[in-house]
Amino acid sequence: MALYVLYLDLLVTHQFEGRRWTLPAQVYAAPLELYAGLALSPAELEEELQRLGYRRTTPLDRPGTYRVQGERIDVALRPVRFADETRTATLLSVVTGPKGLESLRDGAGQEVPVLRLEPLLIGSIFPIHGEDRIVVTPQEVPALLPAALKAVEDRKFDSHHGVDPVAMLRALWVNVRARQIEQGGSTLTQQLVRSYFLSTRQTFTRKIREAIMAMALDAHFTKADLMNAYINEIFLGQDGDRAIHGFGLASQFYFGKPLAELDLSEVALLVAVVRGPSYYDPRRHAERSRARRDLVLKVMAEQGIVKAEDATAAARRPLGVTSRPAGAYYPAYLDFVRRTLRRDYHDQDLTEAGLKIYTSLDPRAQEQAEHALERELARLDRQHKRPEPLEGALVVTTPQSGDVIAIVGGRNVGYDGFDRALDAHRSMGSLVKPFIYLTALESGRYNAATVVQDAPIDLKLANGRHWQPENFTHEVYGPVPVVRALAESLNLATVGVGLDVGLPKVADTLQRFGLPQPPLQVPAMLLGAVEVTPLEAAQLFNGLASGGFHNPLRAVRAVISADGKPLKAFPLEVSQVASPEAVYQLDRMLVEVMERGTGRGARAVLPAGLTVAGKSGTSSEFRDSWFAGFSGSHLAVVWVGYDSDEPTGFTGSAGALPVWAHIMAGLNTSSWEAPMPEGLAEMHIEFPTGLRVAPGCSDDMVAVVVPGDASVPAKPGCSFPDNGNPVTTILNRAEQWLRGLAH
Amino acid sequence: MRISRSSSAVVSAWLIAACLSGCVVSRPEPTLPPGALPPGETPPGETPPGETPPGSAQPPGPGEAQPPSERPPAQGPRQFRLGPAATALVTQAHAQAGSGEFGQAAVTLERALRIEPDNPLLWIELGRVRLGEGNAAQADAMGRKAVALATGDPSAQAAGWRLIADSFRARGRDPEAAEAEQRAGALSPH
Repeated sequence: MALYVLYLDLLVTHQFEGRRWTLPAQVYAAPLELYAGLALSPAELEEELQRLGYRRTTPLDRPGTYRVQGERIDVALRPVRFADETRTATLLSVVTGPKGLESLRDGAGQEVPVLRLEPLLIGSIFPIHGEDRIVVTPQEVPALLPAALKAVEDRKFDSHHGVDPVAMLRALWVNVRARQIEQGGSTLTQQLVRSYFLSTRQTFTRKIREAIMAMALDAHFTKADLMNAYINEIFLGQDGDRAIHGFGLASQFYFGKPLAELDLSEVALLVAVVRGPSYYDPRRHAERSRARRDLVLKVMAEQGIVKAEDATAAARRPLGVTSRPAGAYYPAYLDFVRRTLRRDYHDQDLTEAGLKIYTSLDPRAQEQAEHALERELARLDRQHKRPEPLEGALVVTTPQSGDVIAIVGGRNVGYDGFDRALDAHRSMGSLVKPFIYLTALESGRYNAATVVQDAPIDLKLANGRHWQPENFTHEVYGPVPVVRALAESLNLATVGVGLDVGLPKVADTLQRFGLPQPPLQVPAMLLGAVEVTPLEAAQLFNGLASGGFHNPLRAVRAVISADGKPLKAFPLEVSQVASPEAVYQLDRMLVEVMERGTGRGARAVLPAGLTVAGKSGTSSEFRDSWFAGFSGSHLAVVWVGYDSDEPTGFTGSAGALPVWAHIMAGLNTSSWEAPMPEGLAEMHIEFPTGLRVAPGCSDDMVAVVVPGDASVPAKPGCSFPDNGNPVTTILNRAEQWLRGLAH
Repeated sequence: MRISRSSSAVVSAWLIAACLSGCVVSRPEPTLPPGALPPGETPPGETPPGETPPGSAQPPGPGEAQPPSERPPAQGPRQFRLGPAATALVTQAHAQAGSGEFGQAAVTLERALRIEPDNPLLWIELGRVRLGEGNAAQADAMGRKAVALATGDPSAQAAGWRLIADSFRARGRDPEAAEAEQRAGALSPH
């Protein structure tokens, strides 16, 4: 018996110590940089502030509040620590205008050229266990909270030794009469033990075990420690698959703000929820929840913790919970963060308490991406009866920096399970084609106007079998210019080009752009029989979007220790992996994919005048629907398909493209306008034939960029005065006509 | 030569019609990105070269693209400048680098790069910090990035080549440094 007690003692103290000394790492999104000229509307700025838990009040009574006065928004900013700077609480006045922010001034009226808002806390992770908490230190706990907990749950907390025999006896009496466990009678310490060991069935033996362990905890640790552990541990709600433990997280979950900013009625509500988070759920059982909250307030007044009139006033207030579970939760992104850290850290470093991790997540872009995926998949589902639910995943980056700003791992965005963005290895299909054509451009033997043959192919493979690929339309198109072969994603023409430049060179291009494993060099590689995850596809296309400069995609920017010491930086790194001239020519062809090729369906959704470039990807038998595309400031890669790998029946343009278009339309993005490198020239060619034309010679022209010394056969009957510039031509003709008038 | 008023009206009408027909190409309309003309050409109605507004990579307002007449020409001579936010951050970065805090300076410059990702001047600043940190390879890469972005601005390109030259020198590769230095000089004497 004594040994058993000893065993329980060791078990519970081990749990307690383990939780106590492993403060989780806190993970932050990218801070929003404010500056004059930023295209942000007043409504968007308010939304940002509210996302950070700022309350709209007048006057600005403390940090965490803001007020709106016409076109001016004044904000009482909270103190904040960045990886590279600590800032105290400060005032900021922002004047907004029709085009965005017009000026920023500090409390003294001085102009502020640039200022970043505090970053949004997006998760607290125990890097090893992977749980989610917002651990609060005693300093961050309002004094009312422990007082209220004691008053309501455990009056004798300060004096008992872990169990309250009187309370237990009373409960025992009630329970015996009811012949089941009804009343609590548990101290806070006992509840803490129960929370550690998740005992849902309350048998008498369990209660005895708990009692012993509670007494052991009480013997080893101070009341203050136990109270703090309780505050951080107790179960207070459920958000889908995610359990809400601890008052720090609960405060975010129910009210969208930090625990330290809660008022009396809000603290009382959380204390009320302790007894039964489902039963007293303020969103689902508002009346019941409110009644219990008011009871808590009454008890607090009776016990002298608060003044009676304050309790009465608080009881008159509405519940105050946010309608949607508040507090950001982005499991797919957190997953990537965890993996980055595990890759670069040894396990012992990760147990260091209280790391702060600063990431590149853009909450606006993330939410935009999540909505787009959910909405479009639902729409696709409605089109046909489906044997299983369609799934999808996507990644959004800012190409020049290589920052990953959003990751969605599946259509059930809050689900922390299989993260398709990082783990779904799928055939890249036609996404491979830009890399084949880039290889061709770099060889010097091809340009956008080069005529290639879209002709039947019959290859004898090493195993003796014959490979006879086909176009998706099953047609054969004959001689076509390269720009058309890419825009219309012609398989036969592309395979021809790929075989000509050679599989090893294409494989090399893919690896230069970041493909992690050497691809299997079989002809089917040219049709995308290469498996990539959406993140890997994003890495590949990022190099095209940044002009041939490879930056490793990163989600984590910096890690600092609990006391602000920089531990790890992930600095911006670039390396040139392709010639800017070749990449520019390719990118211009990818613009044509959007203008008149398989990406043109996006036009209906995108803002007018926005220039984008991209490529649809469909793998064999329509198993994978991809779209990868970029603007001047963002890249997004979308995958849609079935988890079971069954054919979906639609192409990249039908499945992934609408998702991509909606994401791009919702981001505040800019046109792709890279400068044309020297040594290149722009001309018009006939889209079907590749012959050079001038305006007026053809109904079906496309602008292409080729090397300056390229010779492209002209269409017979077309005349090219000067260098074929249409405006010069017209003006020259006008001048000649005028001269003619004079004589 | 005298052109009667009715003839001049006809001429004007013809010129306008000709311009319109020259500017609007037949269906399907190929969208010409701003870099559409050979170097040196300014189409009517666009900002003349040299008047690039500061902060060349400002995004358009929410949901709208900039009208062409306000877009700085992506082709043709231009001069890169830093907007006020980037300037403030660069100033801060200089101070940090000056006290040897290269890591901090780099972080500050990365902030500036998020605001103006296509501005070669910022890539050169960051490259210089990398050089200060002893990372000559990254300094070289960033110099090349700057050169690629700075097409049309010879002095910015020259600054890029000078950074590349310094990165070669730092790695003891003097002949290549001299070559890069020459390219800089050809673009812009100082």
